[in-house]
Amino acid sequence: MSRLDRWLEDSARGLARRSGRRSFLARVGRFSAGLIGASMVPVLPVARASNEPRRLPDEVEGPEGDPGSCEYWRHCAIDGFLCACCGGSATACPPGTSSSPVTWIGTCLNPADDQHYMISYNDCCGKGFCGRCSCNRNEGERPDYHWYRANDINWCGGASSQAYHCSVARVVGLASEQQPER
Amino acid sequence: MRRALTSFLLFLVLGAGTAWAEEGSAPGPFDELGTTVLGPTEPHWVWVTDIIFRHSQIFDAESGRMLGSVDHALGAFPRPPIFSSSRSEFYVVEARYEWGYRGKRTDFVTVYDATTLSAKGQIIVPTQSAESAANLAYSALLDGNRSLALFNQFPSQSVSIIDLESRTFLDSIPTGGCAGVYATGAQSFATLCGDGSMQRFTFDSEGNATDSDSTTPFFNAVEDPIMMNGVRIENRWFFVSFAGVIHEVDFDHSPPGTRSWSGVSEAEREEGWRPGGRQLTAVHRGLERLYVMFHQGGSGTHKDPGPEVWAFDLTSRQRTSRFVVPNMDATSLAGMLGLDGGFSGWLLQQLVPATGADTVAVTQDATPLLLLRNSALPVMTVLDAQTGAHLRDIPEIGLTGNRLVVPR
Repeated sequence: MSRLDRWLEDSARGLARRSGRRSFLARVGRFSAGLIGASMVPVLPVARASNEPRRLPDEVEGPEGDPGSCEYWRHCAIDGFLCACCGGSATACPPGTSSSPVTWIGTCLNPADDQHYMISYNDCCGKGFCGRCSCNRNEGERPDYHWYRANDINWCGGASSQAYHCSVARVVGLASEQQPER
Repeated sequence: MRRALTSFLLFLVLGAGTAWAEEGSAPGPFDELGTTVLGPTEPHWVWVTDIIFRHSQIFDAESGRMLGSVDHALGAFPRPPIFSSSRSEFYVVEARYEWGYRGKRTDFVTVYDATTLSAKGQIIVPTQSAESAANLAYSALLDGNRSLALFNQFPSQSVSIIDLESRTFLDSIPTGGCAGVYATGAQSFATLCGDGSMQRFTFDSEGNATDSDSTTPFFNAVEDPIMMNGVRIENRWFFVSFAGVIHEVDFDHSPPGTRSWSGVSEAEREEGWRPGGRQLTAVHRGLERLYVMFHQGGSGTHKDPGPEVWAFDLTSRQRTSRFVVPNMDATSLAGMLGLDGGFSGWLLQQLVPATGADTVAVTQDATPLLLLRNSALPVMTVLDAQTGAHLRDIPEIGLTGNRLVVPR
């Protein structure tokens, strides 16, 4: 295989990878949303949180355990740049940014213990696009009228600056049931 | 020494200039610098919005030429221009901060002259205008072109009413539990609600709500939600659900009537066919034809691009066509590599997997064009909207964006 052929093939494969679900647009920006914090989560009509005391959220880890990976189990309904790639972590905003006071949620299966957990996807705001580790997954995601499950909304609109930078994925509870899907 | 060097350089410059001037016996006429203007907005023109460049550019989809552009201020996701034919104006909803991303926020609507694309002014609105990844149904020009309605998300859902005659904000109407704004009259709009209904609000000349009515719930917001992307024929709005059910809401009645029918056969459903994309539906009003992006996938794929566009006749409620989306991935790659449309272009078409389109628009004339893009690709492709024939590709439309808006 000639160098040109290899290069063409690599380019084609790379383009195909980049153009899949986590397309450039997805990588660039859509994002997130945010709800009113964990305290409101148990009253939501779907994916109710269990009242049973459980392990602390950050003790829950998937087999791959890479918050910088789009495939990370917590990212099942995320949309935006992963803060773990932007100077923050799965649970912390990068320096100089502030978290949106409201967020959207997802219910994700942790393959390590086969349990569904409620994930709060807070946006980190106040700086422009991070531009790294873009990720768009829409498992259980819903349109804007179902706002607390909508990842299209710019939830930085509820922050002091609506400039969107990246998104975190905090475990906020154990889901008592799986989301109805179609 | 310095003087000698200066003299030498002057000699070179002047000498060269003299030699150049002597070569042409009858120089000129020389160019004058000008600025182009647009003629009346034409049916095949389309706005292409880009998130990275923060601008919208208007293209002639017939010739492929770019005609002009407008900018978007610092909001994360630009909202495409809204066209008023009677006022010959475009409106762009924007927000900015006093110090870059910091400081006092100002939300405003920039008013552009439709022929010069120069700003004529701005209308200050409350700092609550909402943004989303695609901004579908986040603003609406109401019938008669007198009022502009903007959807607000924070601190609570509402719709701001702007009087375009006086260029003033009138008031905001609370729409709690609902999202989006869809024009239903000169002084009325509808919104999609979490209980599976649509609510219509009517307002007075002060922007105060005077009446409202609501459909009965016609979709299940959890099990089979409808997409935000609605399309309109007269006073009927059409939506598609995650599973491919087509919903019609008729606002000629009070309360508004609804009817629903499946756009997917049982066999197709078993094969996994479902709608998906961003701006995933378009309608040709004259033909009463609905275009929907389709792909094969499972739950959670409702924003994925599709390899096909399905066309439905809204009168007979039958699908009339399935159009294949051209391979825009190969076209994009060919453009990046500087390859022409010859053998190398053909080879790329065979080698590069196509990911389809997630955004569709259709022109409204008698020879309609179907316009397609994929948010991740820098190319727009143009089909004959009646036959599906691939007419042309338009390269270098931007880096990323999920809106195509036909102004006329």
